[in-house]
Amino acid sequence: MEPLTWTGAVGAFLNPVLGIAVTLLVVALIAQLVLGLFASPTTLQANPDGTLAASGGILGKIETAMKYLFLAVIALILVYLIAPLVLPYGMVGIIGEMSQRFLPVWIALIVTFTISIIYKRRLGLYGKLFDSTVGMIGFGLVMFWVFTALFVSVFDLIATHDYLTQVSGLKNKAPGVAVPDGTAGDIPHYLLGGDNLARDIFSRMVSGSTFVIAIAPLATIFAFMVGITLGLPAGYYGGLLDTILSFVANLILAFPVILLFYLLVTPEIVQTGIPSYMAAFLFVFPLIFFGVLLNSRYYTQPQKRTAILVPVLGILGWLYLSVINQKGTVIDFLPAWFDLFDITILVVFVSVVFVNAPTVFRIVRGLTLDLRTRDYVAAAQTRGEGAWYIMLWEILPNARGPLIVDFCLRIGYTTILLGTLGFFGLGLSSESPDWGSTINEGRKLLLIFAHPALPPAVALLSLVLGLNLLADGLREESLKD
Amino acid sequence: MTDQPILEIDKLSISFFTRLREIPAVMDFSATVMPGEALGLVGESGCGKSTVALGVMQDLGVNGRIVGGSIKFKGEDLCEMSPERLRDIRGSEIAMIYQEPMASLNPAMKIGKQLMEVPMIHEGVSEKEAYARALEVVTDVKLPDPERMLKSYPHQLSGGQQQRIVIAMALMSKPSLLILDEPTTALDVTVEAAVVELVKDLGKKYGTSMLFISHNLGLVLETCDRICVMYSGEAVERGSIADVFDEMQHPYTQALFRSIPLPGADKNARPLVAIPGNFPLPHERPDGCNFGPRCDYFEAGRCDAGFIPMEPVPGNDRHQSRCLKFQEIDWNAPIQVSDTKEKPEPGPVVLKMDNLKKYYEVAANALFGGGDKKVVKANETLSFEARESETLAIVGESGCGKSTFAKVLMGLETATDGAILLDNQSIGSTAIEDRDTKTVADIQMVFQNPFDTLNPSMTVGRQIMRALEIFGVGANDAERRARMLELLDLVKLPRAFADRMPRQLSGGQKQRVGIARAFAGDARIVVADEPVSALDVSVQAAVTDLLMEIQREHKTTLLFISHDLSIVRYLSDRVMVMYLGHVVELGSTDQVFSPPYHPYTEALLSAVPIADTSVKKKHIVLEGDIPSAMNPPSGCPFQTRCGWKSKVAGGLCEKEVPPVRMLAEGHQIKCHLSDAELAEMEPVIQIAAE
Ligand SMILES: Nc1ncnc2c1ncn2[C@@H]1O[C@H](COP(=O)(O)OP(=O)(O)OP(=O)(O)O)[C@@H](O)[C@H]1O
Ligand code: SF4
Ligand code: SF4
Ligand SMILES: [Mg+2]
Repeated sequence: MEPLTWTGAVGAFLNPVLGIAVTLLVVALIAQLVLGLFASPTTLQANPDGTLAASGGILGKIETAMKYLFLAVIALILVYLIAPLVLPYGMVGIIGEMSQRFLPVWIALIVTFTISIIYKRRLGLYGKLFDSTVGMIGFGLVMFWVFTALFVSVFDLIATHDYLTQVSGLKNKAPGVAVPDGTAGDIPHYLLGGDNLARDIFSRMVSGSTFVIAIAPLATIFAFMVGITLGLPAGYYGGLLDTILSFVANLILAFPVILLFYLLVTPEIVQTGIPSYMAAFLFVFPLIFFGVLLNSRYYTQPQKRTAILVPVLGILGWLYLSVINQKGTVIDFLPAWFDLFDITILVVFVSVVFVNAPTVFRIVRGLTLDLRTRDYVAAAQTRGEGAWYIMLWEILPNARGPLIVDFCLRIGYTTILLGTLGFFGLGLSSESPDWGSTINEGRKLLLIFAHPALPPAVALLSLVLGLNLLADGLREESLKD
Repeated sequence: MTDQPILEIDKLSISFFTRLREIPAVMDFSATVMPGEALGLVGESGCGKSTVALGVMQDLGVNGRIVGGSIKFKGEDLCEMSPERLRDIRGSEIAMIYQEPMASLNPAMKIGKQLMEVPMIHEGVSEKEAYARALEVVTDVKLPDPERMLKSYPHQLSGGQQQRIVIAMALMSKPSLLILDEPTTALDVTVEAAVVELVKDLGKKYGTSMLFISHNLGLVLETCDRICVMYSGEAVERGSIADVFDEMQHPYTQALFRSIPLPGADKNARPLVAIPGNFPLPHERPDGCNFGPRCDYFEAGRCDAGFIPMEPVPGNDRHQSRCLKFQEIDWNAPIQVSDTKEKPEPGPVVLKMDNLKKYYEVAANALFGGGDKKVVKANETLSFEARESETLAIVGESGCGKSTFAKVLMGLETATDGAILLDNQSIGSTAIEDRDTKTVADIQMVFQNPFDTLNPSMTVGRQIMRALEIFGVGANDAERRARMLELLDLVKLPRAFADRMPRQLSGGQKQRVGIARAFAGDARIVVADEPVSALDVSVQAAVTDLLMEIQREHKTTLLFISHDLSIVRYLSDRVMVMYLGHVVELGSTDQVFSPPYHPYTEALLSAVPIADTSVKKKHIVLEGDIPSAMNPPSGCPFQTRCGWKSKVAGGLCEKEVPPVRMLAEGHQIKCHLSDAELAEMEPVIQIAAE
């Protein structure tokens, strides 16, 4: 088998065209920036029907030109992505084949966007996201990785080889290298080359997404539960409670994060059981949160409350016990048949929750301080509602805007944090395909072979960028109307 | 009138452009302001008053544009001016004063410096001269101790003082046109009266022309020479104050006047008539006359046929109306009194306050809790009784302790001393958590701000049903839902509103939901904290009527907190006037509204702007601001501003808190004035003989 080139046979024709289009776009962009400094701002022009028209003048012309150039570049890129579907294997090179592998993701994205845009007026804040270009790009990037993780882990699609299999002779080989005949795998090439243990980088990268997509939001949700459960009363009651909690939050925030992680994974510390006890403490908050949430809502109708509360708390309690109960640690009292699962990366969870919760706490506390002066809160008080009902049902829902935005940003931080943990090899097995560990592996030979470290780095970057853009879009749109 | 007009607006149309559509905010608006003349611009919120002002300032933001007509300032067209010339004119010849004083002040700069900047930048005068001028204007706006004022930062001043500084700043450049956009809405009535007085005097002194924007007809009557009434983007009537107030020629103006209570008029002969329907949104305006859907005189096929121009009213000077039928309508026809409902006689006493006191302890040093503790006396020996189906109005300015009183009554705070008796059961020291459901459901509250009173993330129906759940009404959700729909009927809202979110409702509709929620547990005592003050005048009457109607049916005791004496007189049986935590006067409505008055009541009455040209008011302008409750004056709480103090011998007012005196059956005041002096008092409001 011949190795694959980046763009294959089609590239010979498409590459120059794309090059010209991109150059023109850059020129137009510079011209616009330069002219924008001198030209006086044009006033708004209205069409006869009252809608806004494009602005006139030379700036307007450049703007129009840029629009078409941009569309042309997009169209060309689309050709690279779509051509492999109709052309035979290898014609569009590595790029084409990768696009081909991601086909399920493309379909899922197109379906999601089409449905969302059609019904966007009925979908509340989520629908409004599709009014903002930035938000749509962010959402697209995030959903790209979400779907990738889903298809890799559940349907075993996308990845071309097993991410742990080593194939002799492919150590540190460049992208597009052909695998020896008889190697198990969907295609006869390592699309992004082999790493220094001769494993397929492409497959490791897409498999790594599963780890990030599963852990980051979950850990962030836990951090939010802890932050909300403590931030609401601190802001609502104020006084001594607030002073103490805020002080503790500041204390944790002042503690160097990396040092904390090292401490948590040090075998001596693990022996003492501190991480397990911390897990037992931190993971009880979701239980408290849902218990109080439902009780305050339904306590006036005891039957209904019991009917709802018992199953919810039962299931959550079971999950909780399974999570904290680990073989071979200090908390190991459940019979094996009752313990649903062992989380090997418990310490990662604990660390993430531990460092994120204080910041969430401060945000929630601030929002509560503001919202508790509203008349609807006073109205709830005057009809004798309990404090937790007011906090969870009157205040929290109205703080959701900033919290959702922060949630997106925070998943981004958590992703980076997970990368950092992986990079330092903390709490994860060295085989793990997660992006942080992979970057660390690649780092060692970075000056000689750059290609093993780059794909996971780009993946991490695009996901975090997507999350930030998504947060920006949400913030922008939630401020409108 | 041979001079050139200062401002001449001709057929001005202003639109805002959005992604979806053009929003015509002002259409075909014309107005002229002559030198030294004050033009009042009135209308409900959203009708385009402020847009006109911003149009004159050529400050419409990125998406606003003048789409037709012209604005001439001293003969020069503002729309065709170069940006430099515009900036120059805006700084030195046209000045604008906004509603919120802090919006025009830089919080990080001393007042003197901010004032001096104006002439230094625009006229390039020396620092010394600028300082001299700053001192002069600050003295002119009647601020005490001008030199100290110049050295302070904006946040060190009270709202009234800040607004005076803003006015001073506007006057620094000696403008020939002053635009005031609701300059006193954020202020208290007595402070408002003083600021309005000041603006009027300064206008005379400097010969400044004014464009005075307000939603309050009474204020416009007091300050302006001419008036222009706006409705939904158009001027509907304009003319001199006397012409428009006494010979109105537009159905909207008439409806507006009929929906506000006038203290001079008899409340039975002149009931409030609410304007039906709602204000149309700019893009949902009907064809033809904008006021058509709400107009009593609407004639299909004629009023909705097409554009209606402003037509001069024959016989009057520059009086015009935008109505096709104004010459056919009989403007003197009496108001059709819908069947007057008899108010039930007050029943037995349900609520009794006895020497209620509420003190707050405020730590001087919040961080360590130590140091001196200061005591804020928010309520001082409050005693009164309220009967079944009676309306007791509680009147006073901000900080007088009205809200604290409401909080103690509701159980959100407990009383420091004294007792609250509900049906002879003491609840004054029972916090709300410890009250039984019945007591909680019995005493409910309607809040002031309609935009804040409903939880924005819950449907209207859910919120009412939650109240029902809490009060233990109904055995299951189906029953409660039925009851909730009944409550919506009670407040005259369509049942479909149950599934709406609060943001889909107008201010008046939200306030109705608030009322429905308060009556969810068949409340017997309802505290209404300024329930209509944040609503547009045309909706105020409807909400007020609704409250009174429910009260009649349910025999509710209504405690109506308000600073608006016109409305108080219209709906209450008894009035309690509060000042700095003290009840200074308490009596039946007639007793409080006629002499002898407590000096503070007298000042309050004279401060109420009345939109009635036939009323003669005594002018009492209170000096200074309301003292802080942290640091109340010695002796009589009102002594720092009282105009009668000199009549009491021996400086008694500064030494001793006056005792409560009974003047007549059920009429008590707290003042040292002798009976003879009280008897000499003249009525504040008099109807001029016609
Ligand atoms: N929690 C508190 N701690 C300290 N002082 C308070 C507190 N609540 C109210 N006060 C003080 O008590 C006085 C009365 O306040 P209150 O809110 O009752 O006035 P109000 O008449 O309702 O004013 P407004 O019309 O502006 O609402 C004020 O001086 C206020 O500063
Ligand atoms: S034109 Fe017709 S609808 Fe409009 S105000 Fe006059 S009578 Fe009423
Ligand atoms: S007691 Fe004196 S200061 Fe107080 S209101 Fe009466 S006259 Fe004025
Ligand atoms: Mg208040």
